[in-house]
Amino acid sequence: MLDNPYHNKTLQWLAYAAVFLLIGIVPLLTDDDFLLNQLATYGVYGLLAVSISLCWGSGGILNLGQGIAFGLGAYGMAMTMQMQSQAPGTIPPFMANNALETLPIFWEPFWNTGLGIALALLVPTLFYLIFGGLMFVARVSGPFFAIMTLAILSALATVFVALQPYTNGVNGISPPTGLVIAGTKIDPYSSTAYWLVFALLLICTFTAKLLTQSRFGLVVRALKDDPERVRFLGYNVAVYETLVYALSGLMAAAAGASFAVLTQYVSPAQFEVGFSISAVIWAAIGGRGSLLWAMLGAFTVQGAQSYAGDAFLNTWILILGFSFILVVRFLPGGFAGLAELLLGRLASLRGGRREEFGQAPAKGAAK
Amino acid sequence: MANALILGISIASIFLVAAIGLTIIYGTAGVINMAHGEFIMLGAYATYAMQTYFGLPYFLCIPCAFVIVGAIGFVIEKLLIQYLYHRPLDTLLATWGVSLVLIQGTRLTFGSDPKYIQMPGFLSSNIELGGVSLAAFRIFVILAALALIALVWFVFYKTDFGIKVRAVTQNREMAAAFGINSKQVYSFTFAFGAGLAGVAGALFGVLNIVLPTMGTGYVVQAFLIVVTGGGALMGSAIASIATGEMQSIFAMLLNDSFARFLIFILIVVFLRFRPQGLISAGGSRR
Repeated sequence: MLDNPYHNKTLQWLAYAAVFLLIGIVPLLTDDDFLLNQLATYGVYGLLAVSISLCWGSGGILNLGQGIAFGLGAYGMAMTMQMQSQAPGTIPPFMANNALETLPIFWEPFWNTGLGIALALLVPTLFYLIFGGLMFVARVSGPFFAIMTLAILSALATVFVALQPYTNGVNGISPPTGLVIAGTKIDPYSSTAYWLVFALLLICTFTAKLLTQSRFGLVVRALKDDPERVRFLGYNVAVYETLVYALSGLMAAAAGASFAVLTQYVSPAQFEVGFSISAVIWAAIGGRGSLLWAMLGAFTVQGAQSYAGDAFLNTWILILGFSFILVVRFLPGGFAGLAELLLGRLASLRGGRREEFGQAPAKGAAK
Repeated sequence: MANALILGISIASIFLVAAIGLTIIYGTAGVINMAHGEFIMLGAYATYAMQTYFGLPYFLCIPCAFVIVGAIGFVIEKLLIQYLYHRPLDTLLATWGVSLVLIQGTRLTFGSDPKYIQMPGFLSSNIELGGVSLAAFRIFVILAALALIALVWFVFYKTDFGIKVRAVTQNREMAAAFGINSKQVYSFTFAFGAGLAGVAGALFGVLNIVLPTMGTGYVVQAFLIVVTGGGALMGSAIASIATGEMQSIFAMLLNDSFARFLIFILIVVFLRFRPQGLISAGGSRR
């Protein structure tokens, strides 16, 4: 089989660079702050899709509860922003409305911005480490793990709604002002916010990409195909699974935290099953095997939802559902799989002509 | 405490009715059917439609819901599921897509306003039971749960179809070698499970209002029951009773949401130590 340009690492990095260059120059082309905010939100969704692709595409661990990390990260950030707007010694208004007189102990650290942001990222990661560790050591995998994440997700949603005095229940937390870092306020409707999300997306995606190409990534990818064989080769499968799961959790938490900065709002809707599943749909339609395609999947689906969705709101979900079924049935690799196939065909066409009298490329030899 | 125990039985019967169809689909075919909640929803709408447009009495609507939803399940199996048996994760995703389509399709057909199912008058009263006042309909659901267990047991252990299903579950190749059409068995099993979800919908449509999104809450709950039970009928029954009673007792001590949270956590811990569930159905699949 001839080289498929899809698998060429140099070309892959070029593609990543090109896409990020395109996304990066957007603020230079427009000064519509509303549009920038919306696009930055898509960036956050893209990051969430990347985090799913890292876990699912590379490691084969389907996680239907990525909203756990996203929501916890968003809550952590919103709590930090809320406390920034409070005068020392006061409590957020919704707590007073719910008959609380002093700040609950777990809110105290959020007085400190740095500590608050650190907690927003670390609490979900730690949660993933513990939960993932428990599950993977017990060799719970595949669909069972997916169901378990779903269970935890809906349990969390229930708790956040029930803890009305501490979380403001279904209404959620809406900090009155934007995030202030080192004395500068980040206006969510500005190019600054856009650049921040862009930088985060860039760093996370490139780190994840490097990781999948590393030795660690190789073991993780082997897990997807045959965990039993990896175990027999002497690797501690549970450790690798837990690490890649926790790492994807960290990324999702970062996405959630940025989401809170951009929207100045967080509610238990982030813990809704539907939201987490949409993230899986983005990655599946774009192509779970590729971080870049998963991200593009999020852009496309969310973009289409806000533009086409407004025009025919009712049929949109129908279209989304059907296209998802079609992708799963006929195109398990998503659009990434399609690109791989087409590029492979192209290469073998050209190669076939060049090596007409040499070795003919074995058709259908590779899977 | 006695109140909580009696209420727990009622909750358990609801859990079991919701999970029984899924137990069959998952336990025999190994399909992770995320559209199960939507099958329940369709059962409720089928009951509503039969009652409103054809004036059928409620008790006749229940078998109708079984047939209608079973037929829909059969079609979905033929069009989609049968291609995915060897890809469990993809089945999960594809059936999620199916559930999106079913919810939206129902919303477009019936509108998103709530519908109500009329129940026979004698079921709308309350019955005193050991000092607890329980709605007669909840007693009916308990009886229905017992009847459904009996029905499934009969079909699986006393009919030709049941023998074939069990043979295919144990060893598909060997069953095929004995001339059993395993594809057909899977199709009918899926349809049977879907039909049972339809019956669940006919019952739940009375307990709650009928909405296109009413099914979404049942899926996770039903799955936890099935996974805890291990995919076997008795396993699901025991798991339902255990979780139903715990839900009722914890809810008395704390409140509803924390009870739910606590049970979910307990199930996760339980599965950590016994991943195969209470009673594991087929040893070979996992």
